[in-house]
Amino acid sequence: MFRVRPVLAIKKEKGADAGKQGVSPLNSYRRFFGSTTGLWGAKQGYFFILPCFLLLLLVLGFPTIMAVLNSFAPIWTTGLKNFTLNYYRRLLQDYIFWNTVLKTIYFVGGTVTLHLILGFCVAFVLNKEIRARRFFRVMAILPWTVPDVIAGLIWAWMYDPISGIVNDFLHRVGLVRSTIEWLATPTLVMPSVIIADTWRGYPFVMLVLLAGMQAIPKELYEAARVDGATWWQELCYITLPNLKRMIFIASILDIIWQTRRFGLIWVMTEGGPARATEVISVLAYKTYFKFFDFEYASAMSVAMAVFLFVIGLPYIRMMARRV
Amino acid sequence: MARRVLVAWLVAGLTLGFAVAGLPKVKIVFSDWHLVEPHWEKALKEAIAQFMTENPDIEVELEYVSYAEKETKYMTAIEAGVGPDVMHLGPIEVSFALFASRGYFLDLTPFIKAEGPDFLSPWYPATIAAVTYNGRIYAMPGDFMSMFLMYNKRLFAEAGLDPEKPPTTWEEFLEYAKQLTRDRDGDGRIDTWGFGTVGKVDPGFQLRFTPLLYSFGADYLTPDYKCSALNTPSAKEAFKFWVELYTVHKVIPPGVTDMSPGKVREQFAAEKVAMILTSGWGPPIVKSIRPDVNWDEILGFAPVPVKAGLDPEYRTTAWLSYWAINRNTKHPDAAWKLVKFITSKAMEEKWFRDANVLSSRRDVTEVYEPILASPSARINAAELSRAKMVPLIPEWPRIIEAVNIAVQKGFLGVDPDLALSEAHALINEILAGYRVPGEACPGY
Amino acid sequence: MRRKVSQVLTYFFLFGVVVFNIIPFYWMLITSFKTDAEAYAIPPTWWPMRPTLYEGYGKVLMWTNFPRHFLNSLIVSLGSAILSTLVGAFAGYGFSRFQFLGRSFLLGVLLASQMLPGVLLVGPYFKMLVKIKLYNTYLGLILAFTTLTLPFSAWMLTGFIDTVPHELDEAAMIDGCTRIHAFLKVVFPLITPGMVATLIFAFLLAWGDLLWVLCLTSTDSMATITLGLSRLVTQFRIIWPQLMAGSVIAAIPPMVLYLILQNYLVKGLTGGAVKG
Repeated sequence: MFRVRPVLAIKKEKGADAGKQGVSPLNSYRRFFGSTTGLWGAKQGYFFILPCFLLLLLVLGFPTIMAVLNSFAPIWTTGLKNFTLNYYRRLLQDYIFWNTVLKTIYFVGGTVTLHLILGFCVAFVLNKEIRARRFFRVMAILPWTVPDVIAGLIWAWMYDPISGIVNDFLHRVGLVRSTIEWLATPTLVMPSVIIADTWRGYPFVMLVLLAGMQAIPKELYEAARVDGATWWQELCYITLPNLKRMIFIASILDIIWQTRRFGLIWVMTEGGPARATEVISVLAYKTYFKFFDFEYASAMSVAMAVFLFVIGLPYIRMMARRV
Repeated sequence: MARRVLVAWLVAGLTLGFAVAGLPKVKIVFSDWHLVEPHWEKALKEAIAQFMTENPDIEVELEYVSYAEKETKYMTAIEAGVGPDVMHLGPIEVSFALFASRGYFLDLTPFIKAEGPDFLSPWYPATIAAVTYNGRIYAMPGDFMSMFLMYNKRLFAEAGLDPEKPPTTWEEFLEYAKQLTRDRDGDGRIDTWGFGTVGKVDPGFQLRFTPLLYSFGADYLTPDYKCSALNTPSAKEAFKFWVELYTVHKVIPPGVTDMSPGKVREQFAAEKVAMILTSGWGPPIVKSIRPDVNWDEILGFAPVPVKAGLDPEYRTTAWLSYWAINRNTKHPDAAWKLVKFITSKAMEEKWFRDANVLSSRRDVTEVYEPILASPSARINAAELSRAKMVPLIPEWPRIIEAVNIAVQKGFLGVDPDLALSEAHALINEILAGYRVPGEACPGY
Repeated sequence: MRRKVSQVLTYFFLFGVVVFNIIPFYWMLITSFKTDAEAYAIPPTWWPMRPTLYEGYGKVLMWTNFPRHFLNSLIVSLGSAILSTLVGAFAGYGFSRFQFLGRSFLLGVLLASQMLPGVLLVGPYFKMLVKIKLYNTYLGLILAFTTLTLPFSAWMLTGFIDTVPHELDEAAMIDGCTRIHAFLKVVFPLITPGMVATLIFAFLLAWGDLLWVLCLTSTDSMATITLGLSRLVTQFRIIWPQLMAGSVIAAIPPMVLYLILQNYLVKGLTGGAVKG
């Protein structure tokens, strides 16, 4: 009978080992070289993360600080003299901004969910021993190789009511009689954009999950098979628990990236019709590059970043809990 | 004796030096979105080559940019202190006021003054006014083309209308459009419509909606630019008429809210719509989409209709591009020479020959024979005197977006008055900076 | 019997996925062989009536700088992908193995650094580049893309290195390795799937980017292939055959990269490395 209990590849450390004072050679070695805590541990830790943060600070530091300051004052023209919270005040009362918040939640919720579901299913299948695995793996990654503006152009064309293949196909097989205006109808446009973005984006999640699945040792599955487990039980008690971490990582990263998603939506609808697909990144782009309202666009983007940070907090805590 | 030898050596040395190195060359960068189009690229390269021959001390480097991204690219570059020396931009309402108000362009007034008192006289006064900001001139006008009606004579004839008598009033227009909306291939469904227009949020929307507004005798803003003028009865009437073309009379094909100008032209080329509002670029594009059709016999041109009984001073609007010099330029004189060259009479005539665009110079558009010989160019030129530009203020992109979305909402079924009142309120909010506190705009 | 049914369902599902993935590609491919006029055909043609190589591929390859754009894309994308992955792996090891003051905070900073949209950062970054004279250079672009993808690499690889038990490092160090050796020799090979995912992600981000390349380059000799293709969306219409042909060609390097790397996606955690 198969054990109905999660089988993890890694033993969860209770932290007891770290401070053990035994006479075994391993522990004495640890005390000298292998310590991962205390001052020596900290020094090594900082050493490894240094290049990363140095690069981030040098390259992103200045732009980020300036961008945040710009949401309080027009720093590029008059410096910090006119420091004000007015842009945020305006944001709170702006019904256009709150509409974008709703649309962003709709878009991000829809795409991330579909990315995860589709990505997981495909990764699960590709993880198995199937024939022509290489062919299917290459097929699975295909959409990701197209830049998102070009993917947007292609999908917009496919959705075209009279010269697009989606409607043409539906007509030919007789499923619909009249033309469906995918991108002109407010109720249909967001699902259409979500499908287009799912096409473009799910290979990324699939790849992350596949990489995570590959890390689960085969012995666990073999042992389970010997014990008589079904594929469903394998999924629930081996795959998913071991993949939990990767799923969380993939989903928080996908949420962040989808909130920033701009090119595809802009090229397909520019936020229309009548603001139906106006997500926050589209409004920020318009405000910055079309209306030249730099301060307001900065305030908008900073507000969005704060939203995301609040959502991301539990994930950061979960990530930090390891070790 | 020694001094003469020295001078001789000096002269010899300098001559040798110049012969080897050539005259000191000044390098300027010229950027134009037209460079990505083959026929324009050829024409521009020829012109630049000629310019460099006439000015051997100036070297011009070409910079490519796409039409949709040019403002983004130029703005970030100028803000960062770099960017091309000479830029071609358009349509004017999208960028000029924004760029000029932030000081991105070099003030050309001193250069123009140095050219003499009559330098600006060949240009249409409206175009010179358009490139003026706060009393100073910041650019030279470029292509200037009015919006007019283009219709399909064949579809007219098939629907029983006289192909040589296009509609002159909006009421007639509606009647014609209703007759033109019919089932052409006999399968029981309507497959051709009377009118095709832009419903998407796009700079092309303004070019098609503005003639309607003006020809009803209405306008976007009050003359002092402090308030929205969309609450006047004529504005309400124009808006309602436009929206009802789609919602009530159904003479516009379904899906208008996603129609970009390019798609409307495709519809026209496929003979799915019989009439569209377009300008000089219309006929060549339609011909290139369907080269197998003999368009010269099918295309008809007419001025934009007006409201019956009205004869407004302005009944259409125009597309205007302009040439500006970057404020960061290190060689303002060379840049000015290039701008002057490109907008000279000879070059403006060349742009019509090679690219079918009309000039903002009257001594070209009203006089040049090939322009007078082409039917579309003739109407185009004639309507220019009835064309008025939209308010060229920095807030314009926001304002037109509000109107564009109001029209979209109207198309989607929202009550036209409600949609327009929303736009009216939003525009008044946008213009709040022009009013003193306490000064209120009239409501809807 | 059960196995057969599940196998059939699996293949059916895979077939559906392949169709979903391929349809836009199919459309892209056949359009690249159509003439300009046929691209606008109503209703659309599912197979080119008169296939031609000239309209799409011919014209696009005749661009003055197409090979240069291609090369630029390769250099910038590979450069930033490799840099991002290496630095990210290092950082991932640091976060995963060690306990130090500010660890949670810095993890939070890593995540937060991805939250501001590129729209906002392009302008100031541009100004910075001009000041240090890296405007319109490979390095400027590579640095930009590296910092866009670095947080993701580090975050993802931290998670990955977490799955490699640190007994392995210690075993290696007992055998006389330094910490860095342990990292490179033991952990590095075991996290190849994660690194592959990071490499491909960073490569594709740089390959398909438009806004940053648009602003940070000025001469055509520094443009990337995506920027070049974006110019086919002209003022009045989209030149479909060339755009599709160019996109097909542009999809080849990412595909090749993936084909090369996908072997490393299979991690061999054999040899009893883990005692469950």
